[in-house]
Amino acid sequence: MKSSSLRRNVLLLSLPLVLAAVLLVIVGSGGIVTAGHEDMPPHGIVCTENASPDGKSAIFSLSTMTGTISLPDGNRVYMWGFSAGGDPFQHPSPTLCVTEGMTVTIVVNNTLDHDVSLIFPGQEDVLANGVPSTPVVDAGTGELISLAPVATANGGSMTYSFVASQPGTYLYESGTEPGIQVNMGLFGALVVRPLAGPNFAYNEVVVSGTVTYTTEFMPDEEFLLIFSEIDPMLHMAVEQGLPYDMNNYTSRYWNINGRSFPDTIAPNGAEWLPDQPYGSLIHINPFNDDPAAGDAYHPHPALIRYLSVGTENYPHHPHGNHGRIIARDGNVLIDGAGQDLSYERFTITLGPGQTTDEMFAWTDVEGWHPTENPIPVTIPQLQNLTFGTFYSGSPYLGATDLLPVGHQALNACGEYYHISHNHALQQITAWGVVLSGHITFTRIDPPLPNDCP
Amino acid sequence: MRKENLTRELSRRQLLKLGAGLVGVTAAGAVVPKALLKPDRVVEASPAAQDPIIGVYRHFAATDGWIYLPGANPPYHPDNLAPPGLTTYIFGFRDVTSIEGNRDLIFSQKMKCQLTSPMFWLDEWRNENPLDPHDNTTDFTLKLTNLGLQIRPDLIDAHTLHFHGFRNAIPIFDGEPHSSVGVPIARDLTYFYRARDPGTYMFHCHFEETEHVHMGMVGGVYIRPKQNFLGGASAPIARLGGSLDAAAPMGYVYNDGDGSTAYDREFALVMNEVWSLAHWCDSHVQLPEWSDYNPDLYLMNGRAYPDTIAPNGGGTDSATGDLIPPAGRPELKYQPLSSLITCNSGDRVLIRFINLGYVEQSMRLTGIKMRVVGRDATFLRGRGGNDLSFLTDSVHIGAGQSVDAIFVAPDVTEKTVLKLFSRNLAHLSNPGMPGLGGPMTEVHIYPAGTLGDQAAANDWGGA
Repeated sequence: MKSSSLRRNVLLLSLPLVLAAVLLVIVGSGGIVTAGHEDMPPHGIVCTENASPDGKSAIFSLSTMTGTISLPDGNRVYMWGFSAGGDPFQHPSPTLCVTEGMTVTIVVNNTLDHDVSLIFPGQEDVLANGVPSTPVVDAGTGELISLAPVATANGGSMTYSFVASQPGTYLYESGTEPGIQVNMGLFGALVVRPLAGPNFAYNEVVVSGTVTYTTEFMPDEEFLLIFSEIDPMLHMAVEQGLPYDMNNYTSRYWNINGRSFPDTIAPNGAEWLPDQPYGSLIHINPFNDDPAAGDAYHPHPALIRYLSVGTENYPHHPHGNHGRIIARDGNVLIDGAGQDLSYERFTITLGPGQTTDEMFAWTDVEGWHPTENPIPVTIPQLQNLTFGTFYSGSPYLGATDLLPVGHQALNACGEYYHISHNHALQQITAWGVVLSGHITFTRIDPPLPNDCP
Repeated sequence: MRKENLTRELSRRQLLKLGAGLVGVTAAGAVVPKALLKPDRVVEASPAAQDPIIGVYRHFAATDGWIYLPGANPPYHPDNLAPPGLTTYIFGFRDVTSIEGNRDLIFSQKMKCQLTSPMFWLDEWRNENPLDPHDNTTDFTLKLTNLGLQIRPDLIDAHTLHFHGFRNAIPIFDGEPHSSVGVPIARDLTYFYRARDPGTYMFHCHFEETEHVHMGMVGGVYIRPKQNFLGGASAPIARLGGSLDAAAPMGYVYNDGDGSTAYDREFALVMNEVWSLAHWCDSHVQLPEWSDYNPDLYLMNGRAYPDTIAPNGGGTDSATGDLIPPAGRPELKYQPLSSLITCNSGDRVLIRFINLGYVEQSMRLTGIKMRVVGRDATFLRGRGGNDLSFLTDSVHIGAGQSVDAIFVAPDVTEKTVLKLFSRNLAHLSNPGMPGLGGPMTEVHIYPAGTLGDQAAANDWGGA
């Protein structure tokens, strides 16, 4: 059994944390319910939450940090980031989760020697220190300084607030020197949950005849993937305080949740990636909407929230099945008359600064079984094939079989793996390392009950 | 739905966990289901399942080869190692089904692959015999043989064939070598699919994919809907489904029920591009830095304009197993797929756009609007039955995506030529050459009744 999502953990932890938050608020420090890495579920979304006891508001204190991240070619790249409360540097910045209707307050404390700001694409009527957040223009030169009021360098702060009026998946990112600062890591995700419930992406439904389609997903199968890219020359220039000309911008690394494959499939909070806590493995069970299936009953798809902070369109291709795109940029694909505008794709275009919500499921349509329904072709003997690290040795879900002596096998219980990757294949590399970059995997466990770790 | 726990039956690890190792086999036999006692190390196949050729069968070979592309970009293009008349080193596939059984002839096709790969199509599984849950008349098997690389004997790369977009795939047949297996040199693997979902798909090698896909191991595959055979509520059985009614459409793209995806002619355009430096690196035992990706030739069915409108190749020579070049174009021997679109006035013409390059394309048809009826092998219709298709003159298509677009040929009194090309004008030239090149083709519209039926997709119908 895989662990429950953090959201559930947060519920379990909520009483002491809420108490702590309340105590902190009482002493005026501003409390953040922040998941320590040891509390993270191995896979799936990791939420940072801090709702007020009455559920009407949430407050987050984000401090700028500097640090480095590890990349598969052995390079370490200097980064900036936001961390919640007193947390150490992390990349990407924390995923903030709130509920529809909450008043969200984000206090930015800036320790960098550059001015920093935040913009919240998709949020309306954002306030900065209580007045509408608007672009900042130099009064003397007329030069556009920032897309939002800044927390000034070396100790300034700025408080942004808005009402999270519409459920969905959103970005928050720097509005100051954004070409440089977003590449440096000043970005994160904001998830607004609907009033319909924590296992729904949106409130709306599509009614077609006797069938009602909702956006409900399996509670343990919510994933969030932020696609980004890095020009290491930009980072070196910033680290050394040198100027950088954006006309020379050339991406060399392509990351999901701040990691490049194979690090992407390491668990959340993996100890060998101390500053890159968010994994990207899509860990699901087979879809099965037959209530008579017992433990194998698995009647909803997974929800995958895709976000891109890159500079070009990424064509993301999950193997194994199509995904159904149910929303873009926090806007559910249902029109005002209740008509379904959602669609299935085998390759999803993630535009710069866009978010896309996808329902994803895999169904065992053929039901192959070693004795009752064998695959109708013969698999060659071991010496006549090459074997992948994730292969179980058997074509059958839930079965394992012999692999060549000395083969490095990571398959645990006959589970299936499908790659999920950017199909601009020059971007599944890491500055000379191939099979890296924008790759993660979907892991499909055998139907429950199983003994998968 | 599977109710059984396969792990319980098969895993030795599980058996040990259950404590079966502590009891005698006889005792275990008394209390443990028989299946538990079977050895778990042999993939079991039914006794008759020695790769029977059922349904549709293809045999593909994977190897390297050389093609002709116009222009010059020294020192990489043309490649100084290329045979006379050819310019560019590639990896790719060949369809060797017609010489099946002659393994020597198949292996003589080493260094004779083509760009783009042979196109093929399947009929959707119809389950025509409900008493047989595995009615296999439309089941699909593809045997892949790795012939090795003639120019790079040091590269002992395996190959695979990934069916890009096939739904609910299982890893062993998905061709992604990390989650399953690859085919080493001189070995075979047979893939199996039951074509359940109509639409336009693609295939490519997934072994060291950044290199192998760019080197040309790409092609189109599509699944024709069962509505061709069964008809729909207001859609007659199609000619491809056996109708003899000349007024019936040739086929449908999807099971639309209302004939809205009917077509009379079909053409597939597989888009990709060539970064000459990367191809030169492969023939010269070098490695490119992929983040410098900078293609200099953009192709349509493996050719650059004006070669795109040259004829289709002549198929496979049964004596040599080699390809027969297009008429009058010996240098296009290994680029057999024409992109010329021919039709009669009034024809509904289906274009299946497939992008297996690494960059987006925006394909513009001048003069006629296209109706996009499908994307990524998905009929553009909402779950409530609402129409999501749309008219356009520019089809946007990202890497690894497909688009189904239909246009209706206008009335003409004499042959009329329109252009279909990538609106990214920076792609629309051949290196070092003046004028237009790259991913451009033509639509030739004839007066009604001029052309005969297509023998297959991309056939000119006698034009």
